[in-house]
Amino acid sequence: MASLGALLLLIAFVLAAYAVAASVVGARRRNSRLIESAIAAFYTIAAVMTVASGVIIYAFVAGDYSIRYVRRYSDSVQPLFYKITSYWGGLDGSVMFWVFLLSLFGVVAVKVNRERHRELIPYVVAVIAAVEMFFLFLMVIHNNPFTTYLTETPVDGRGLNPLLQNFYMAIHPPMMYLGFVGATIPFAFGMAALFTGYLDDSWLRAVRRWTMFSWFFLSLGLTLGMIWAYEELGWGGYWGWDPVENAGMLPWFTATAFLHSVMVQERRGMLRVWNVTLVIITFLLTIVGTFLTRSGVVQSIHAFGEDPELARYFVAFMLFTVVFCFGWVIYRLPLLKARHELDSWMSKEAAFLANNWILLFSAMFVLFATLFPTITEAINGERLTVGPPFFNRWMVPIGLILLLLTGVGPLLAWRKSTVANLREQFMWPVLAGLVTGGVLIALGVRVWSSGLCFMLAGFVSGTLTQEMIRGANVRRGMTGTDLFTALVGLVSRNKRRYGGYIVHAGMVLIFLGFAGEGFSRDQQLLLKPGEEAKVGDYIIHLDALRVTDDGQKQMITGHITVKNLDGEVIDQMRPAKWYFRKHEEEPTTEVAIRHSFAEDLYIVMAAFAIEEQTASVEVHINPLVNWVWFGFGILAIGTGIALLPEASMSFALAKLPAEAVTASLLLLSILLSGGSAFAQHVETGEDPRLQLVSPESRVVAQKLACWCGGCSKLPVGQCSCAHCAKERTNIDQMLKEGKSEGQILQAYVETWGGNQILSEPPNSGSGRVVWAMPIVVGVGGFLTVAYLARRWSRRPSIAGMPAGVEDPEMAARLDDELRNLD
Amino acid sequence: MSQEPFLQPWQFFLLGGMLAATATVIVATGQSPANIIILSLTVVSVSFVGLGAYRILSPLVLPEVDAPMTIAGRTRIALEREKMLVFRSIKELEFDFAMGKIAKADFDEMSGRLRARALGLMRQLDEGGGYREQIAKEVQERLSDPSIRLKADTPGLCECGTQNDPDAKFCKNCGAKL
Repeated sequence: MASLGALLLLIAFVLAAYAVAASVVGARRRNSRLIESAIAAFYTIAAVMTVASGVIIYAFVAGDYSIRYVRRYSDSVQPLFYKITSYWGGLDGSVMFWVFLLSLFGVVAVKVNRERHRELIPYVVAVIAAVEMFFLFLMVIHNNPFTTYLTETPVDGRGLNPLLQNFYMAIHPPMMYLGFVGATIPFAFGMAALFTGYLDDSWLRAVRRWTMFSWFFLSLGLTLGMIWAYEELGWGGYWGWDPVENAGMLPWFTATAFLHSVMVQERRGMLRVWNVTLVIITFLLTIVGTFLTRSGVVQSIHAFGEDPELARYFVAFMLFTVVFCFGWVIYRLPLLKARHELDSWMSKEAAFLANNWILLFSAMFVLFATLFPTITEAINGERLTVGPPFFNRWMVPIGLILLLLTGVGPLLAWRKSTVANLREQFMWPVLAGLVTGGVLIALGVRVWSSGLCFMLAGFVSGTLTQEMIRGANVRRGMTGTDLFTALVGLVSRNKRRYGGYIVHAGMVLIFLGFAGEGFSRDQQLLLKPGEEAKVGDYIIHLDALRVTDDGQKQMITGHITVKNLDGEVIDQMRPAKWYFRKHEEEPTTEVAIRHSFAEDLYIVMAAFAIEEQTASVEVHINPLVNWVWFGFGILAIGTGIALLPEASMSFALAKLPAEAVTASLLLLSILLSGGSAFAQHVETGEDPRLQLVSPESRVVAQKLACWCGGCSKLPVGQCSCAHCAKERTNIDQMLKEGKSEGQILQAYVETWGGNQILSEPPNSGSGRVVWAMPIVVGVGGFLTVAYLARRWSRRPSIAGMPAGVEDPEMAARLDDELRNLD
Repeated sequence: MSQEPFLQPWQFFLLGGMLAATATVIVATGQSPANIIILSLTVVSVSFVGLGAYRILSPLVLPEVDAPMTIAGRTRIALEREKMLVFRSIKELEFDFAMGKIAKADFDEMSGRLRARALGLMRQLDEGGGYREQIAKEVQERLSDPSIRLKADTPGLCECGTQNDPDAKFCKNCGAKL
């Protein structure tokens, strides 16, 4: 079976090579037979990969432990569901899964566009097959999932890490891969456009839906990852700026930029070079992302491990791609010159330019900061840490600017807005923003950054509401229907625009969810059964500490009753620690969460002492956090609407497409489930956490990065592992002795031999680079954009097709057809 | 497409695959349901590999090509689609104007450009006529002009009868310009 699998991969590689060669030669010589044959080979790759997938899944399910990969990620007692999903659990299988998905997407993309874009198809096939060749090469030469044990065949497997045996492990990677792999299709069409020279809008039309599809699954994958971190890791947050998390975000930024700048090309014929560049960058970033996860270049709990040889192959592929693709862009520059130019800064085009600048800046910043530790280590041997405090410092203002642009963009006119225009469009949204902000700040909300966030959210909501109502009124004028029908018709007539507005509404909710983190509170409690403590608006009462066993694992559960301030019982919560057989040194932390729209009550049992029946319990109150998940559900609905085919009629709002329904239901069900969820963190129940520490020590501890290796370098003040608990106690002690924060941090730097212990790089020596970089890149980017914009506006106007005089009979026919169109 | 009366290639392979899957299920009786399902799905996929192999080789080997040929130039469908897209752009522009998003002068210029393009497409479609007329016209052209026929149908075929490479400029036998 293993040899069959290996043979299939080899066959797929040969087929891909043939597809590349035959399609390019066939296209150059206009030989339709060769092209037919190449496309058939391309389809056959999908069939071969399906068989290979079937083989590996069968090996998992039937328990063929002679295959190394199967033995590593499965065992005889593993549930069937996790046996199947182990297909993508390890590096080798995940690469195969990547090729499998890419081959399927390729088949769909080529089939759908076969007739519409005949000129482009052979080159699209060639590009996709070339990418498949790379990944197949990796497997055939280096990481073959079908490698067997040469001598002794094991009788049983090691089994999937219990940390990974949860629902999210099954769904988060495939969703991320759908997003990553989906980005290859627009790239293939963009390259095909460059090769053929057909650089008008036709390639954009072919890729619009693919880009939205890929973007949606990236968003879904990222959100599922956040939910997983929140419900599993037990530190109370959902984003740790871990390198692999960041790697997933990078193509999301550029894909978002692309979705927006495409509109400028369609409407005004501008930004053509930029669009093709963006699509190449998005693809490159997906490869960078997968490279970071697999090569060991960055330290991350998500990473598959270290593999220098693999890293070299990836680097070679990326270098080749950069040189080859951008070479073609430069070659085709004359054909890509814009037909029009920027008329004014107060225009939609300028707003889209600003949008692109911000998003690209975010991508560059996150990439640089993620790679910074590796760079410093390569230069002077010192691996500095770039932790969450550094990222948040920059990403919060960036996020707010993005939110502002979301509200401003729709209100500006194409080409230029006059003062009267501006007044009329901006009045109500700005008023909405000021009122929202004013009220909340008067109620005591801090201006930075939550108050500002709420104010901007009010502004954007005002914009969206105004667009919907005014649009419905215009439509009412055109069609003479009532407001509700007009609204439905409005959305169905302009699915992309109004679907996009709904997506923006979802983003507003997500930002509000992020803003809630500014009001979160954490408290550590040390309780014996019968004792209780007040946290926020709740009273936490420990009833008992129970030990149970179900054959697969031993469970230590804290039975907690939650009461409100009047003493009435509102909930029972059961945080726990689970010790799995064969994995007793890695217990999982089971978090108990009580969800509501206003806030989450999040309880983790960090440590316990069975004999004294003491439990150390960490209580987090996270306001508004569920709005993040709910906002994603709205975003999914908006994307679904935007993805609907043009021809589908006016019941767009009533008939949701399948993926939006599933995603929204999934998220709603998570929201409404008040029960306990499953968490993990690699530590044991030791004494350090059975001591309370002062809040001040947590503040100092935030400036240090955890080095336990089991978390993504969370600040010591946040991480709930044993090391951090011990250090918090030490810091507490040092503070009591009268040491200052600076002295404490200095002591740690000296003890641990370097600045890598700090959660942010120091603003000195090589650390200065990472502090200077965002400013340099941001300002530099802004100046570049401004310079280009000015140069474009100075060029004499290159008119499009001359208007001329219309033949009255034809013009009348045109008007008739236009009227009947709706 | 070849004139086989009963089975198209994909139907043949699919049938073969399903028969093989049935055989597999019979042979594998006793294993768990999950095993059997995965096995049978895999076997059916193998039949698609077979179909793929057939489709890879047949265009290279069979005398007629299965692929649909396009009429010279852009197909009528492509023109119609282009026209619809231009119409939708005009409607979107008018909507934006009604929403106050475009100044009158800009609207006139952009709308004029789009309308000119729409009119041009409508004219092209009118002149092209229906499919029957288009095909008849094309056939007529090819039959009446021998040099066009030679070049289009069999590139590289010289009047003296020698077959040259498709991209040859002169005949290798008589030296005539191709």
